[in-house]
Amino acid sequence: MAGLVYSLRWAVAISAVAQVAVCGLLLFKGHFRKLPVFTAFVAVNICQGGFLYLVYAHFGYSSHSASVLAWLSEATALILRSLATIEVLRLVLSSYRGIWGLGWRVIAVAYGAVLSYAAIDAGSNVALAIVVADRGFHLAFAVALVACLLLVRHYSIPVDAVYKGLLGGFCFYSCAVVLANTVGQALFLRQFADFQPIWQAATVVAYGVVQVVWAVALRKPLPVEEKQHALLPASIYQEISPEINQRLRLLNEQLMQIWKPEVTRH
Amino acid sequence: MSPTVFLFFGFVAILFLALGWALREPRERRKLQTYPRALEEGGQRHLTYLPQMRQAFAKTDYDFLAKRASREVQRRVRRERAGVALAYLAALRGDFEYLLRMARVIAVLSPEVAAVREFERLRLTAKFVWQYEMLRWMLLAGFAPVPQLDGLSDLVSGLSVRMDAAMKELGERAAVAVKLASSMNRRGLDVV
Repeated sequence: MAGLVYSLRWAVAISAVAQVAVCGLLLFKGHFRKLPVFTAFVAVNICQGGFLYLVYAHFGYSSHSASVLAWLSEATALILRSLATIEVLRLVLSSYRGIWGLGWRVIAVAYGAVLSYAAIDAGSNVALAIVVADRGFHLAFAVALVACLLLVRHYSIPVDAVYKGLLGGFCFYSCAVVLANTVGQALFLRQFADFQPIWQAATVVAYGVVQVVWAVALRKPLPVEEKQHALLPASIYQEISPEINQRLRLLNEQLMQIWKPEVTRH
Repeated sequence: MSPTVFLFFGFVAILFLALGWALREPRERRKLQTYPRALEEGGQRHLTYLPQMRQAFAKTDYDFLAKRASREVQRRVRRERAGVALAYLAALRGDFEYLLRMARVIAVLSPEVAAVREFERLRLTAKFVWQYEMLRWMLLAGFAPVPQLDGLSDLVSGLSVRMDAAMKELGERAAVAVKLASSMNRRGLDVV
């Protein structure tokens, strides 16, 4: 176990260096102008590391005060993470007003549904409420993000590699946290004494990987924001979209007509 | 390991797969600029052969063969009919995909999109794909259902005048946007 703790320290150090590198790229390459919230998120994460170091040094790692302060700082980081993700998605979809309108509704519904489940789950599990709520948040986040990305793919909207890297990193990290929290919870319930270093190692390594992916992605210049495409008048969608749906329905009926005689024969 | 752990691992695996698929570059990227052209190309060329197809599926033909022709000939006719039915199915699918493509272009280029309509389309697509595949496998397995061709011409005999007008407008606007972008590029300006 001492070996794991030693490795964990190295992982934390590498992750911190990678975070500083990402922050440097954001500042020196001028990306912060286009990604202000994302830059704030990365900066807050670095500050959070320093803040936690001071908190643990002052209150001790296992104290109640340290735990409360740590989770409060985590809540701030989570809020900024959500806002940063929305910022990137907004940049991807800014030229497609209608799809963005649909996209944020998809995000809201997916997020709300999974988060409600997580809240109920956390409420019924008081001993591990924070861990379960944290897992629920990351799960809701990942589901909402994947749902929005599927929507983007469905409409064949091009996404620049830089934004793919950023969004993929957010999603990967959330999925990793869900797994780490699940395994950590299972180990805790089995009264496995050293579950904490394992849980921490999993999250730190995942975060380090994401930082490296972001650093590689952010080396390239951000795409020039596309001019708003020449949009069709709203009336065209209002008129044609129901008509297309009606035709699709009729084509389905056409298939049913072929299907029915065969079904009755058997 | 408890079932909860397996459940979460499974769910996260699905999320990873979906993420990978969503971020993967499509093999054939249909960029917005090419949409109007693609729509113009979309067609109902199979309509030209509709009378022949109707004839091929006519019940009277089959009755006539049953009385006069050998079993071998009847089998061959049945096989050929199945081939025609498969082609007909493929044509229906082509029509369906053409409409979907058009719906996507219009949604992407609309200032407002109704979630209900878009999800209705997803539901219809899932239903169509399911029915299509079932029918195709039935035909391949040798069951030859007789399609009802009546009404097909009404369905695919061109889209309404409003739709044609919208496509024209879409093409014109896209052309203007492309011209504007290329002229700005020539002058070394950002398209912002």
